[in-house]
Amino acid sequence: MTIEEALKIGGKIPNWIDSLSIGGQVTVIGLIIVFTVLVILMFVLKIMEKIFAPKTAKNQNETPEIVAPVVEEKKVEQKPVTVVEEDDEEIIAVIMAAIAASLNTSTYNLKIKSFRRVSNTAPAWNKAGLNETINSRF
Amino acid sequence: MGSILSSFSGFAESTGINALVEMFRNGEWVEAIGTPIMIIIACVLLYLAIVKKFEPLLLLPIAFGMLLSNLPVFEGAIMHPEYFTDPKFLKPDGGLDMGLILKNGGLFDILYLGVKLGIYPPLIFLGVGAMTDFAPLISNPKSILLGAAAQFGVFFTFVGALLLGSLVPGIEFGVKEAASIGIIGGADGPTAIYVTKTLASSLLPAIAVAAYSYMALIPVIQPPIMRAMTTKKERGIVMEQLREVTRTERIVFPIVVTIVVALIVPDALSLVGMLMLGNLMRECGVVDRLSKTVQNELMNIVTIFLGLTVGATATAANFLTLNTIGIIALGLIAFCISTAGGLLLGKIMCKLSGGKINPLIGAAGVSAVPMAARVAQVEGQKENPSNFLLMHAMGPNVAGVIGSAVAAGIFLSMFAK
Repeated sequence: MTIEEALKIGGKIPNWIDSLSIGGQVTVIGLIIVFTVLVILMFVLKIMEKIFAPKTAKNQNETPEIVAPVVEEKKVEQKPVTVVEEDDEEIIAVIMAAIAASLNTSTYNLKIKSFRRVSNTAPAWNKAGLNETINSRF
Repeated sequence: MGSILSSFSGFAESTGINALVEMFRNGEWVEAIGTPIMIIIACVLLYLAIVKKFEPLLLLPIAFGMLLSNLPVFEGAIMHPEYFTDPKFLKPDGGLDMGLILKNGGLFDILYLGVKLGIYPPLIFLGVGAMTDFAPLISNPKSILLGAAAQFGVFFTFVGALLLGSLVPGIEFGVKEAASIGIIGGADGPTAIYVTKTLASSLLPAIAVAAYSYMALIPVIQPPIMRAMTTKKERGIVMEQLREVTRTERIVFPIVVTIVVALIVPDALSLVGMLMLGNLMRECGVVDRLSKTVQNELMNIVTIFLGLTVGATATAANFLTLNTIGIIALGLIAFCISTAGGLLLGKIMCKLSGGKINPLIGAAGVSAVPMAARVAQVEGQKENPSNFLLMHAMGPNVAGVIGSAVAAGIFLSMFAK
């Protein structure tokens, strides 16, 4: 039975063997077309990447070898007591993301071994100015 | 006094209660028994939408539309599904009798024209396009293949529906019906409605309800299949961060996709074209007002019209059939096979790439944006708390939308004659 004949019947196909063969034909044709269209789109996307992708992307591909896998970060320490109460994992995640952003690389290339707060030596007026600037951005 | 009594009895005769009694008296058993059942089903769906929060934005209008069109009335029914499906009311060539619909139709008949003429689903796609970020797909072109693999379920279910039609007496599934049921596996409501209204509009309510209910149930349906088909180690794979995508790429992408799809599957154009237009509005950055309108106001308005009228087609005669049970069962199979198809290709790609691709993102190839991607994220994180698959899964997820629209176009080009 062909697809045209099945369409002419209008209702259900009386024989299950015919059902299987029609189903098989449509499945093969359908899947081939779906994959063809999406594979073409995939190649189009790859071509687009070649033409339009930013040059920094290429640099990023090279950086993983260059960037040292171990980065130790020092953070400002003012109230050591509160540190214990806070969720350490969350802070590490934030620090890691910040380092990754500033080094222009992925977090997977970084490994934080330890972190501790360092005392802030900036004059009081500088600190006040910094806080004011931060607050005005919100 | 007599005139008051007669107008009172006239009013009593016009009530819905009397209409229900008349159904019993005239021996219209399907309507008489089915109407209360349909009202109960509508109320259950309302419960699921409001209390269980199953796709409430769509299920609520669908359920209320169902309720409104099933209340017994003599005249002035709000919806006449028979105008759209019954050959008695159609023109000799099978087309809609527009004069009849405009003259006698109720509110929902007029609104339903938007479904029947294929206006609402593409408009919803316009909004979906404006809400979708295709960057994860652009930065990882390979993931588009996973969106294609997840269409296995569509075709598998097509075969299943044909077989069910041949083997089970009382179930009437021809090729057109089978195609409409299969497309449920695309996990894309507007696409399913678009195909069904063209090929098998009497199945529309059952298919729409099945598609949207299963989409809401994706977090329940997918995880067991994901766990069964992947190993602990595969689920824990951490994928490389995606590269950044430039604005030029984001703008060129929708234009190129529209051209490529139109050249190969023109029948998918009204869906894919609108999806890409919406996305272009979002990405080009010069028509922010339009972009906001299509993703908020327009989309909401169309969703209300679509939900109400699709629900309203679910009258007892249309809905309480063996076909509906078949559709509910096949819909579930479609979702499962689509998930499995995506996972299978995901596993193959994982092997070929030397373990760089987490197979879980394959399951996101069924559209259902963004639920399917979220499920992949949750499952991946269960194995490895530092695993963030969401953006990687969004690639196959949005590719699935394109894939199911293409599958819909194929069905339409084969069977819509």
